[in-house]
Amino acid sequence: MPTRPVEDLPRHRNLFLMVAAPTIWAVHFVAAYATTAIWCEKVGADTAGLTWLVTGYTVAAEALIAWFGVSMWRQWDYMDDQDYIHDGATDEDRREFLGHAGFMLACLSFVAVIFTTMPVWLIGSCA
Amino acid sequence: MSDATPDDIAHHSRRRDADKYDVRLAKGTYPPTEEMLNAPIDPETAKAQADRLREVWDDPPGWRYWSAVNNSEVGVWYSMTAFGFMLIAGGLALVMRLQLAVPDNDLISAERFNQFFTMHGSAMMFLFAVPMFEAVSILLLPAFLGARDMPFPRLSAYGYWAFLIGGIFVMGSLLFGVGPEGGWFMYPPLTTLDEGVGPDIWLLGLSFIEVASIAAAVELIVGTIKCRPPGMRINLMPLYAWYVLVVGAMILFAFPPLIAGDFLFEMQRSFDWPFFDPERGGDPLLWQHLFWIFGHPEVYIIFLPSIAVAAMVVPAAAQRPMVGYNWIVLSAVGTGFLSFGLWVHHMFTTGLPSISLGFFSAASEAVVIPTGVQLFAFVATLMAGRVKMILPMLWIAGALAIFTAGGLTGVMVALAPFDWQAHDSYFVVAHLHYTLFGGMVFPLIGGIYFFYPFIRKQKMSDRLGRISFWLTFTGFNICFLPMHLTGLLGMPRRVYTYPAGVGWDTLNMISTLGSFVVAAGILVFAWDLVRPKGKLMEERNPWNAGSLMWAHDIPDQFWGVRSIPYVTSRNPLWDQPGIVERMDAGGYYLPDAQEGLRETIITSAIDARPQLVARVTGPAWVTVWAAVFTGGAFIFPTFHWYPPAVVCAVLAVGCVCYWLWTSTALIPEAPEKDVGLGLTLPTYVSGPSAPGWWGVFITMLGDMTAFASLVFGMFFYWTADADFPPPLAEHASGAWVLASALLFTAGWAATRAARKLNRLERIGQARAALGGGAALGISGAAALIASVMGLDPTSHVYPAMLWALAVWTAVHTLGGVIMQLYCLAGSIWGKVLPHYDAPVWNTCLYWHFLLITALVSALLVGVVPGVL
Repeated sequence: MPTRPVEDLPRHRNLFLMVAAPTIWAVHFVAAYATTAIWCEKVGADTAGLTWLVTGYTVAAEALIAWFGVSMWRQWDYMDDQDYIHDGATDEDRREFLGHAGFMLACLSFVAVIFTTMPVWLIGSCA
Repeated sequence: MSDATPDDIAHHSRRRDADKYDVRLAKGTYPPTEEMLNAPIDPETAKAQADRLREVWDDPPGWRYWSAVNNSEVGVWYSMTAFGFMLIAGGLALVMRLQLAVPDNDLISAERFNQFFTMHGSAMMFLFAVPMFEAVSILLLPAFLGARDMPFPRLSAYGYWAFLIGGIFVMGSLLFGVGPEGGWFMYPPLTTLDEGVGPDIWLLGLSFIEVASIAAAVELIVGTIKCRPPGMRINLMPLYAWYVLVVGAMILFAFPPLIAGDFLFEMQRSFDWPFFDPERGGDPLLWQHLFWIFGHPEVYIIFLPSIAVAAMVVPAAAQRPMVGYNWIVLSAVGTGFLSFGLWVHHMFTTGLPSISLGFFSAASEAVVIPTGVQLFAFVATLMAGRVKMILPMLWIAGALAIFTAGGLTGVMVALAPFDWQAHDSYFVVAHLHYTLFGGMVFPLIGGIYFFYPFIRKQKMSDRLGRISFWLTFTGFNICFLPMHLTGLLGMPRRVYTYPAGVGWDTLNMISTLGSFVVAAGILVFAWDLVRPKGKLMEERNPWNAGSLMWAHDIPDQFWGVRSIPYVTSRNPLWDQPGIVERMDAGGYYLPDAQEGLRETIITSAIDARPQLVARVTGPAWVTVWAAVFTGGAFIFPTFHWYPPAVVCAVLAVGCVCYWLWTSTALIPEAPEKDVGLGLTLPTYVSGPSAPGWWGVFITMLGDMTAFASLVFGMFFYWTADADFPPPLAEHASGAWVLASALLFTAGWAATRAARKLNRLERIGQARAALGGGAALGISGAAALIASVMGLDPTSHVYPAMLWALAVWTAVHTLGGVIMQLYCLAGSIWGKVLPHYDAPVWNTCLYWHFLLITALVSALLVGVVPGVL
């Protein structure tokens, strides 16, 4: 299938970028958990501030994940040739594969971060 | 496209470090041209090559067979041993079921019952499920990757012997009636107060096995990323390899917290450091955290490899490539991550804040998404293909049914309010057995039916397999389905008996009957596994599968593959016509062993471009001795016999040094060699393209996780306790802490300089830097110990924590110093030369991590208490 030429860069060969989004999920998760644990132990039962704080983490995390998601979407380059299988032995297949997997992981992480934030919105109690 | 056109490989070198460090690179044509791949092969030459290869790779004869390190031997021993432990643990379960068959039974005592359920759980987890994954992967992974062997064969053998010794020790305790009794998660304070040796046997015996597990994980990760055949890019890897990679990484982050927990626990048991004693500021909940940070990912560590097996069976059954390869990669990686956010769902009843519980409840629900995705991908593949209901597929189908049921109850218990009702009842027992049987036992047995023709070159019986399946499947449901109800009716788990007439009698009797039906099914399978099966198979690829594995030789040859192929497809046997014939004829890479050495090709991590001919280690007894002495170092402390333990530890280190010195990073006879198809590869590299460097790097990542768990412990005490550090506590001596930090930094700088100086051929200075670095390291550790010397670790958890950090750092310093001295000796006796310096690179890498450990320790001991 004819495709426009794309230069293959070191970041297109990077497995760590593929898992950047779930790593952000993990950091967000730990931060939310640690903040809650400290807040409930040291600050007290009023969780309004905590809700704002964790929501702030969430906004930051989601922004980063979205940014990675977009860059992975570009790397996948789906609109170019509608390829979603990537089973060829070429740089392009590998690049688009990593982009595709990274993009889907970013989507999953985006949803998972919302899951993680729901307790502070819905429960709002240290009890 | 440039990369598909054969060219001089040096023109497309992608090594960013090539200019900086003078890296030896591949030369010649890559990828191979059509012409090269069609070139005729001289049968005479090929035969001579094959004879040489056979001689090099053959197992040692006679009783020396047990010194073999080939993945095909070690993998079989490993899996059969794990299966043996599984049968024993299953036997314990049958005795427990007999005890529970009728109310007020006195078949076995409460004490024995406690030992049995503890060892049933511990053995199934630590001696069966996790080692089985490693065993099967060691056995199969090289075949999937068309490699000759794993990158560190002796490490696999060492891991196996360590596992065998540790397993026999732990299981043997039952025969003497001194087995651990605290349940497979060993909660303190019950277990810290236990007067017997049971908890020590559990802690030390299993720590020993955990070390073996991490060794195997390192081996498998390096194997997956560096031992793929040329051309097998990351997007072409068999899905099995993806799962191995994910699970290996999970082991690396999940097991170390438990090792750190074991360390704290054993310090309390042996020396009365009060980590889990609330009277002196400790907190039993820390153990629960550390245990479950390990324990929950572990469930997925068990589950994903079995799904990996399913991912190999399903395409063969459907006779088409997997639908949604990317989706499966997504779900494997996604599950790997999310499974670390679940651990507190085992602790819903410990009184943590509701919001905290909410986080874990939410993550427990979120993990269903990726888990579900892979199941749907399997179903889609089956729907899109023309399914042959081969026997392995029957087991996989049973697995999917049972696992889905277990997953649904999982969603229920992940909701905190439901869990408060069902916690520690038989409902949970039913749930976990549904997930583990469906997620592990069924796919594993299906996998063994599928892979057996590869392993033994014979087929197992279809008829016995079906009998076994139906017995196990119906028996399992008869046994465990009623337990949901028994649990909801209020029967707690782990009780050795119960009164009549509370509505549990019939249900328990049904479960007991079912358990014997399961046992019958497993025994039919076991018989089928070991019974003599007559002559070898005729056909090589009985399932008509597409993976490289089925290019195996009948009868078996120990060389793994006759020549290492150039791969351009996910299913080479389906898509690359003639590949098997050409592999057999020796028409690909590395068809020969002129030097009489065991070799395999190392390729780059993402694109699998050839980088190196790695000389791998061969048969040896020293690995067995190393395992025996490591065993001694862990087993003697159980009985508080410290002097022999120290002797064993020294001997173990000696064995490992001897093995490294005599068989790894040997100076080659020539810096490069022709590997066929117009390609010349280096025979020695150091730094990031060497598999040994990756081994150190990955091991140290795991080590950092363990250290991070200790750091977590320090902050945990601070959040959980208003008086940490206690207001009037004595603190560590600031001057000594500062001295320690400076000495460590200097020791690290000296090591780093030694690498550079050695490269520049300033040998004398390099040696001085190594020796000086070792002296600085020792002094740094001594200073750190001196800083806490005045504190009494038994008085309160605060000084105990500082001591724990100091001891941890000091022990790691010993490792770093041994490595420096090894390099120094290497430099003196010609094992390390300016351009053959892999040990120095690895030592440097270790010291980077050591420096982080030392500085963080100094910070926590000297500075943080003042701030908290």
